[in-house]
Amino acid sequence: MPSLKLEAVSKRYGRKTVLGQVDWTFDAGLTLLVGPSGAGKSTLLRLIATAERPTRGTLRWDGATLPAARRTLRAQLGYAPQAVDLPEELTGREFGLHMAALKGLDHAASNGQLSYLGERLGLASDLDGRISTYSGGMRRRLVLAQALLGEPRLLALDEPTAELDAASIERVMGLIHERAQTATVIMTTHLAEGLNDAAITTLHVEDGQVRAL
Amino acid sequence: MRAARAVFADELRRYGRSRGLWLLLLVVPIAARYLVEGSAVHIALRQHLLVMSWGAVGVTIGVVASTMLLPIGFIYLRSNVTRRRPWQVEDVSPTPRIAMVLGRFGADCVVLLGALAVATLAGCILAWRADQGPIDPARLSLAVWLIAGPSLICLVALRHLLNAVPVTRGALGDVLAFLCWFAMLAMPVTMAAAPSSFAVNLRDPGGYIRPIIGSGALFAAEFAVGGGPVLPGRVPLDVDAGLHAPGYIGARLAWLAIGLAAALVAGLINRPASMSHRRLRSRATPAWLRRPVAAPATIFPPGPARSASAAVFLSEFRLIGHGLAFPILAIAAAALGLASDYRHVGSPAALLLLVFALSVQAGRDEAPGLQRLTATMPTSPALRRAAFVVAGAAWALLMALPHAVVSASTTPLLLALATGGGAAAIAGLIAAVARSAFAPRMVLLVAWYAYFAT
Repeated sequence: MPSLKLEAVSKRYGRKTVLGQVDWTFDAGLTLLVGPSGAGKSTLLRLIATAERPTRGTLRWDGATLPAARRTLRAQLGYAPQAVDLPEELTGREFGLHMAALKGLDHAASNGQLSYLGERLGLASDLDGRISTYSGGMRRRLVLAQALLGEPRLLALDEPTAELDAASIERVMGLIHERAQTATVIMTTHLAEGLNDAAITTLHVEDGQVRAL
Repeated sequence: MRAARAVFADELRRYGRSRGLWLLLLVVPIAARYLVEGSAVHIALRQHLLVMSWGAVGVTIGVVASTMLLPIGFIYLRSNVTRRRPWQVEDVSPTPRIAMVLGRFGADCVVLLGALAVATLAGCILAWRADQGPIDPARLSLAVWLIAGPSLICLVALRHLLNAVPVTRGALGDVLAFLCWFAMLAMPVTMAAAPSSFAVNLRDPGGYIRPIIGSGALFAAEFAVGGGPVLPGRVPLDVDAGLHAPGYIGARLAWLAIGLAAALVAGLINRPASMSHRRLRSRATPAWLRRPVAAPATIFPPGPARSASAAVFLSEFRLIGHGLAFPILAIAAAALGLASDYRHVGSPAALLLLVFALSVQAGRDEAPGLQRLTATMPTSPALRRAAFVVAGAAWALLMALPHAVVSASTTPLLLALATGGGAAAIAGLIAAVARSAFAPRMVLLVAWYAYFAT
């Protein structure tokens, strides 16, 4: 199982230190990043998803150091950021298939997997409707669906359960738990209390410092 | 008034953070330098360049501002700087809509008139360096501001008129702005042989014809703005004869009043942004267009595509031709090319269709909110952009194919390759900078017209 290792990783924006000296190894399974708003959870996730580079420190994926191994990591990554400008005039399926193409995945098989994910996430009947007709929760599930395409070995999910109703949270978490059996899943959430499970690692992020709970 | 002042100050703060503003400020001074020197582009009177007195430099700056700055200023104002707004909050705000529009109108005027002030300053430097006649910054400034001031105010008003109602906030508004600009350039032809009067000068919204031709009739003057052959030697320009011609100042003030009235109308007819979003939401995909794919009982995760580049190309190709209207119009453009002169009918028709399709897809691809996601994917942005250009060229080739087969000639294919690939490259490049579909659409429309007219 590949693991993601962070060695003395820090991130600064100008003079402001958002993350300071993070050392952690993310193994296969589900890791939750919890903490107050503005604590640095999303920044940590963006560093993991290679959307940003750390100011200092090293990230290693499967033993190889980034940025040299960035391409390898991206080929195995599924990322669901908190806010995405979805193209309103496309259908959910068209958007998903475009993302699959950018991931370098086979078109026909991706189409089948999108239908499967749509079914699992409660989007089946809306996947072929325009995104402009989607609610906030549907958009969130569509972004999650594109992240899950191609069975990535590393999943970085930023608040995937925000804006969802109880039934949808159950569906989403069910799928995430399944994926965590074979992949490294890192997600930020405010729902840590409801997810007490020995199999889940929970990290508390506050003032740029990360500690295990 | 307090609300309008608050919006005005907020807009100015937004403009203050804009890097594009610095480029806008440089447009006129740089273009004017070449016109003043009289190189490939120039203003000529009876095939002679002008003696660059302070007044003549002022007219030159006014001409540049009243022609070039209008489309560039429109692109700048309608691009990203002030486009993204929290409309959900604004729509339920108790602030009167007219106050918001007037505040924004004022800030836009400050930006464009600021660009004109910089151009005036640059003109003084150019006139001082040209050293032709007595130093006269007042005459230079009068020429610049009388010619270009009302045109720029009208441009800002047009921007707010087009932004006022949902139907013209998108591509239709861009086309209308483009048509208005061409109408402004073409309208002086109707001045014909009539001598200067208020009514005649009103037909020149740009206001730069009269200062060049003086108080006489248009066709008697033999002047050129832009290019054309010139004879050796320079002729003096009687700037005062044009600026003080009967009815000229009155006509400029009338255009200023028209601009202010249009801004007021824009405030009165302004409709909330939520209306356009509601309209978009109601345009759900018709059931017969939906192609649902049954969810498989067992799922095999998709493997890698045979060729990642081909997968991205095909995806871009599909999305450029997205929707029902595009294939129908593409068939119509191909049929037009088949039935007529390809260079002058079929090719411009295909290119016009591509201008809209390419700018929309380029805007989608380069949207900053989506790039947060796509930047983390294994396909590099350079490969995606290259695939977009190839896909644009491929659509152009497809539309040219029937004519090439029937005429047994490769010329239409080469033309399609150049126009389709070129348009896609320009759309991709501008969208990557502007992060929206609007700026590439405006630039491509101007380029399309140049292609169509030659």
